[in-house]
Amino acid sequence: MISLSHVSKSYFLGEEEVKAVSDISIEIKQKEYLSILGTSGSGKSTLMYLIGLLETPTTGKITLDGKDVSKLSDDTLSSLRNRYIGFVFQSFNLINKFTVMENVLLPTRYVKKGLDFNPVSRTEDLLKRFGIWERRNFFPNKISGGQQQRVAIARALIMKPEIILADEPTGNLDTKTGDEILDILEDLNKDFGVTVILVTHEKVVADRTKRKIYIKDGALAKKYL
Amino acid sequence: MKQFLTKTQVDDLTKAAVVDFRRNKVRTVLTSLGIMIGVMSVVMLIALGLGLKNYLKQQFENLGANLILVLPGSGFSGSGGGSFGAGLVGGVSFDERDTNNLARIPNVKYTVPVYFSNTTVEADGEEMFAYIMGVNEEMFSLMNSEILEGEVFGKSEVAARAKVAVLGGRAAENLFDQPEDAVGKTIRFENQRFKVIGVLEKTGDREQDNSVTIPYKTTFGSINPDKTFWSIYLGVEADRDIEEVKAKAEEVLLKRYNEDDFSVTEQSELLSTFNQIFNIVNGVLVAIGSISLLVGGIGIMNIMYASVTERTKEVGIRRAVGATRKDILMQFLTESVLLSVFGGVLGLVLATIIVLIVRFFFPAAINFLAIVITLAISSGIGIFFGVFPARRAAKLPPIEAIRYE
Ligand SMILES: Nc1ncnc2c1ncn2[C@@H]1O[C@H](COP(=O)(O)OP(=O)(O)O)[C@@H](O)[C@H]1O
Ligand SMILES: [Mg+2]
Repeated sequence: MISLSHVSKSYFLGEEEVKAVSDISIEIKQKEYLSILGTSGSGKSTLMYLIGLLETPTTGKITLDGKDVSKLSDDTLSSLRNRYIGFVFQSFNLINKFTVMENVLLPTRYVKKGLDFNPVSRTEDLLKRFGIWERRNFFPNKISGGQQQRVAIARALIMKPEIILADEPTGNLDTKTGDEILDILEDLNKDFGVTVILVTHEKVVADRTKRKIYIKDGALAKKYL
Repeated sequence: MKQFLTKTQVDDLTKAAVVDFRRNKVRTVLTSLGIMIGVMSVVMLIALGLGLKNYLKQQFENLGANLILVLPGSGFSGSGGGSFGAGLVGGVSFDERDTNNLARIPNVKYTVPVYFSNTTVEADGEEMFAYIMGVNEEMFSLMNSEILEGEVFGKSEVAARAKVAVLGGRAAENLFDQPEDAVGKTIRFENQRFKVIGVLEKTGDREQDNSVTIPYKTTFGSINPDKTFWSIYLGVEADRDIEEVKAKAEEVLLKRYNEDDFSVTEQSELLSTFNQIFNIVNGVLVAIGSISLLVGGIGIMNIMYASVTERTKEVGIRRAVGATRKDILMQFLTESVLLSVFGGVLGLVLATIIVLIVRFFFPAAINFLAIVITLAISSGIGIFFGVFPARRAAKLPPIEAIRYE
């Protein structure tokens, strides 16, 4: 579905070049459940943003269903993120002035061509499934971390994406709550066939998935550390 | 070509912006304040300018149409280089020789010497400050005066230096409770007693309405020992005679006076000169008012820049879930335009209230054009000063915005 070939990403801090991702080639198939494992600063997040079309590679090629994404316009990339990709972040990244409900509905505002579902009833379904329907009119800072991450997952799912990218989704949660979140993500893959990519620096988290991609200093590695 | 924005999109943007404003009430109001004050001052200045114009127009309309004014000084017409007030103060005083000479000009129908002063007038224990006009009987025909009560004086009363007076409508009201009661009563000023023989209808002209009109020859005693006049009014038969009579009048007066000592003008000329002056004054006032609009616009830009920085993360999140650059641009632009229009409408409402109050004293006016222009300008300001911050927001790389903590 998504493939990267010889992809590198560099940042420039003044004169100095920081190579966050270097020469990575991977292929992600539909309905896959995999993790990207590496230490802090190894380039995991950058790799995930590249896969999620939030970042463009400095060199190399990313193809989506065979199409070279470097040739796509900002409008098309935005629309692809909107339709096919859902993000879940370590720090939840909810908009604090919006209620739970409004946060989940946010992606539907950016649909340009019409929806094939009722956004409000789909939001209701998702919030009920995650046990936070009673919190729908709360603001994010008035609910617990675990609940916030569920809201973020609901937001990621609202557009029925094909792929969920989760960047350290348990990083700000205690082990028990974290496990619940990981269970939800696992179920999404198992029950609905959504591709789930789990980005983490914790081996125990990565051990949940069969396929693991190890990354070190921006490049692919044979194993962790 | 595809449509830039659909109605639903505009609705959505507006709703989103309003939700934002609700949760940030204080900042919203403070941001709009600058535009509000700007719009308020521009609208009020336009209204006052219009009022001033209306007021002057009203004053002039009360004078007869075919009226020529012989005034001391170089007049209002600007061409003589005389300053604005010169026509009213400097220059010569006219006398009966001048009236006689002017009266002989062909096509002059009325010749009215005008003695003019102001003083305190009393009657029945009431006192008021009034304008004393010493004129001949032709004045009433020339001015198309309408009589409310009693009668006006005639040729014989002028010749006899009769101590009779005709009151302006407001003067009669002030001195006697019922203006109709004034006729037959006595009024006093300058240590003399006058019998009121008539009261005129109010005209809306402050000077005329507050005047006490007496035969000019009656002033020739202690009131006007020099036997001079401030001005001479000429009435001509028809419009087409005006130019010729003006030329002749100048010719006649030049025999006695220097060119700079007097002026011969017609009222329409005066009106256009006044209009010119007030258009300039108005322009200057509006320009000053516009500065506050500009400051208001910069205020909005300032806040919007701060808002973009503050909401970097929000922008990143929106971009991640599918917002295009244009979506972000439109979001911020909608906010600045709404802030600006909100301020504009508020300013307009306040200005309208103030103008309605002022109208009790002064014929200020708000016209529809002023309203349309104000709203157009305030949305223009919103767009102009909103575009720069909105473009900054739209150009934020989504990742930097997301990483931004
Ligand atoms: N915008 C940026 N500018 C400069 N350097 C960056 C930027 N983003 C990431 N980096 C650097 O790239 C490297 C990889 O970062 P990241 O992908 O966030 O790693 P991880 O998610 O594995 O912790 C780090 O050294 C980081 O400092
Ligand atoms: Mg990271």
